[in-house]
Amino acid sequence: MTQTPATFNLPAAMNQLVPHVFSTMLTLEAAPASAGAPPHGERVCGTVGLGGDTVSGSIYLHLSEGLAGRATAAMLGLDDASAASASDVNDVVGELTNMIGGALKSALCDAERPCAMSPPSIVRGQEFAIEMPPGLRSETFLFDCQGDLFAVEVYLKLN
Amino acid sequence: MPTKILSVDDSKTIRMIVKRTFAPYDAIVSEAANGEEGLAKAAEKPDLIVLDITMPVMDGVTMLTKLKEDPELKNIPVIMLTAESGRENVAFIAKLGVRDYLVKPFKDEQLIEKVARVVPLQKKVA
Repeated sequence: MTQTPATFNLPAAMNQLVPHVFSTMLTLEAAPASAGAPPHGERVCGTVGLGGDTVSGSIYLHLSEGLAGRATAAMLGLDDASAASASDVNDVVGELTNMIGGALKSALCDAERPCAMSPPSIVRGQEFAIEMPPGLRSETFLFDCQGDLFAVEVYLKLN
Repeated sequence: MPTKILSVDDSKTIRMIVKRTFAPYDAIVSEAANGEEGLAKAAEKPDLIVLDITMPVMDGVTMLTKLKEDPELKNIPVIMLTAESGRENVAFIAKLGVRDYLVKPFKDEQLIEKVARVVPLQKKVA
């Protein structure tokens, strides 16, 4: 995906790279969803930060606890999602976030917006909201993974 | 004699995937969670190292640099794993003296193909 700084198309990038990560690593289909509510209730949320001279921001992958368990079972080759420990789930969601962030970082770098990425971290909880400093463009991308909706929130500032 | 593969990655998930991928082969996969542990395990002279770039304690680039400085270890082939496929990153990896690299996300077959180009891989006899 080669784009110039002026034409960087975030929705096109996310709608291509998120399904690619899910199909390659989990053999699960994730299709962009135009409507629906992001996951609520118990959530597992992976995050990475991006920073550079002309880029700052962060990416949050929000999965319901159920989908995070399914993803873990798929990635680790477990027969039963309930066999996955919380630590396994955290590691898998962190790795998925790392791959999505890495792919976005690569797209930004190829669009002449070099930046670095932080290691992933995990937040778990029921009712939490993310607040960012003003000036960051915020976009939420919804995906349907075989009946389970999940969200990728991107906060980005391109100077 | 089994092929000895060292997987160096801070993600337990990736280490498990590498181990699972080579389970059907006559291969022994050992693990390290960062470059420092990786260097210690490299002293056991694996046939190949699958090395992540971004890791705490010691990253993959530092580990590779130290490996190349050690006359006993410098010839161990290394395949790098990276989540970043950007042109600049790929060019950077190429300069490090690695045998090959693989961009995450990857399929098991892609890893097998890359490794089989560097070391012999035989399926286990049932």
